Amino acid sequence: MLIYLRLGWRNLWLHPWRSALTSVALAIGIAALIFLTALNEGWMQQVKGNFALTLTGHVQIHARGFEQSHRLADSIRHPDAVIDYLRKQAGVMEVAQRLRVSGLASSAEGNGGAYIYGVEPEVERRLSRLAEMLSAGAWLSPRGGHELLLGDGLADRLHVALGDKVVLMASMRNGEIASEVFWVRGLLHSGVLDIDDSMAIVPLGMAQHWLGMGEGVTDIVLRARDAEAVPALVRHLRQHLDPGTWEVLSWSDIDPMAQQWADFADAYTWVVLLIVILVVLAEVLNTMLMGLHERVREFGLMAALGVRARQLFVMVLWETVLLVLFGGTIGLLLGGALVWWYGLVGIDLSRFAVAFSFMYMEPVIHPALTVESCARILGAALCGALVAGVLPAWRAARLEPVEALREW
Amino acid sequence: MAMIEAEHLRKHYRSGDARVMALDDVCLTIEAGAFVVLAGRSGSGKTTLLNMLGALDRPDAGALRIAGHDLLAMNADERAAFRLHHLGFVFQAYNLIRVLSARENVAYVLQLRGMGRRERLSLADHWLAEVGLAEFADRRPDQMSGGQQQRVAVARALAAKPDLVLADEPTANLDSHTGAELIDLMRHLNEREGTTFVIASHDPAVIASARMLVTMQDGRIVSLEER
Repeated sequence: MLIYLRLGWRNLWLHPWRSALTSVALAIGIAALIFLTALNEGWMQQVKGNFALTLTGHVQIHARGFEQSHRLADSIRHPDAVIDYLRKQAGVMEVAQRLRVSGLASSAEGNGGAYIYGVEPEVERRLSRLAEMLSAGAWLSPRGGHELLLGDGLADRLHVALGDKVVLMASMRNGEIASEVFWVRGLLHSGVLDIDDSMAIVPLGMAQHWLGMGEGVTDIVLRARDAEAVPALVRHLRQHLDPGTWEVLSWSDIDPMAQQWADFADAYTWVVLLIVILVVLAEVLNTMLMGLHERVREFGLMAALGVRARQLFVMVLWETVLLVLFGGTIGLLLGGALVWWYGLVGIDLSRFAVAFSFMYMEPVIHPALTVESCARILGAALCGALVAGVLPAWRAARLEPVEALREW
Repeated sequence: MAMIEAEHLRKHYRSGDARVMALDDVCLTIEAGAFVVLAGRSGSGKTTLLNMLGALDRPDAGALRIAGHDLLAMNADERAAFRLHHLGFVFQAYNLIRVLSARENVAYVLQLRGMGRRERLSLADHWLAEVGLAEFADRRPDQMSGGQQQRVAVARALAAKPDLVLADEPTANLDSHTGAELIDLMRHLNEREGTTFVIASHDPAVIASARMLVTMQDGRIVSLEER
């Protein structure tokens, strides 16, 4: 095998310019793919992370039926025991309770529909990104009270500002309508329409009291230590929590949009990968066929000396693999260096910040390279090399020694 | 003991609509240790016969045994293995693998035979010294003259101790002095090693060196002269 590697390597450099040009084309292609994949991975991590932690959390646990009905009658009446259990799970970083209800927000000058969330102020600050979206005023105080955070779009519709009074109205568990007065303590701006135009956040204790929920909540929300481990965490919880009582949902179960974006971006990367590999491998095939044409007599000589057809086949295939490995390794190093640098400094796309915030993206993207991505690109290049190498290898193996030795 | 037993070999080629008889009922027996020259004008059939003896081509009819092996019963892989283990070749030109040094070219066949690195490199150096090229061991073919390349080819052919060395016009691209040196070398090695040589040539110097001269014309052996 070593002799074929040595022969292959030296044969490649018989025409250094030709091999160098092919290697450069390969390296640029692979480097571009590495960078594109890392960019995609970086912003998809952002999108998925931001999407999950903006509001949904990594995992939500409801009483059976709540996800379908969204009625307070399907709430969790005594959450303490299950919260204690969840806090003991290794993959869980934070556990928060919420009371969620649709209602109406009214001020002296207007009214509008609202998603009303009762949250634990300090726990929520650690679990979600809601506190980071504060554009004016302050986050809910630990002691609670009649404090209200409003999405800035909703505040505009109500014509209210910090310190103004707002009345929230919603159905109680028993179906009766209840209202409560709150004072605006802060305004939120996320770039996400559902939050900015509809969100009203109040302290959990106040919401429970107002809506007659006792200690009842609608959601127990988890933040996982590792976002990639969420599927495993969900499987584990589904195995250990009674499915007749609880429903355990991951962020992508609750709203598959971000996951679908990620899947689409992944599919898009595969298409680009395929196109680049095809173009580059056409170049490799051309190089190998030119080499074959020039070396017909040499292959005839080797066959005459006793090299078997399949050994010639393997030798030419090795040459192709070596060429791709050489160019691919340079491309991997080049692409890796670009990813490393831009991973540190980030790519500033703040001029597109409005559009980005709508898609849960941040204005600065940090490309992120995974071993899986590198393996996928190099694997695809090598598979392509084997495919591109088959034709010249097959031709070399089929040469009749007598005919080949007549070539000059 | 007969090294080569060829009986009624026939081979034809198509050239356009014409049917060219390259070998026509060739019968030939060559003893082990012989130094044979196949002579004849271009197109006489000597290279075709050499290709048959070298298991590079198959006759349309006849029987052929080399060193006791029936070549016509072998498939392509078996013929390749036979060439590797029993034959050595010296061609007219472009004999060497251009990306390998002289030493590596000689050692290549030994490696194909499965010989260990140290042993094959040592043997390669020995045979390069035998053909007077010890100091050229690290040179690649494009750094050597045509005569030197042919001597490397001789060293490669003999290093594996083949039963039979076949040479096709080995002096055709050499000046007369270098050609004479090469023939002297092959003749010397034939006498010393006892290896059978069959050389196809129309070079008078080569023909003069033959211990057995087989003259061909129109695909037939027209004379066979023992000297």
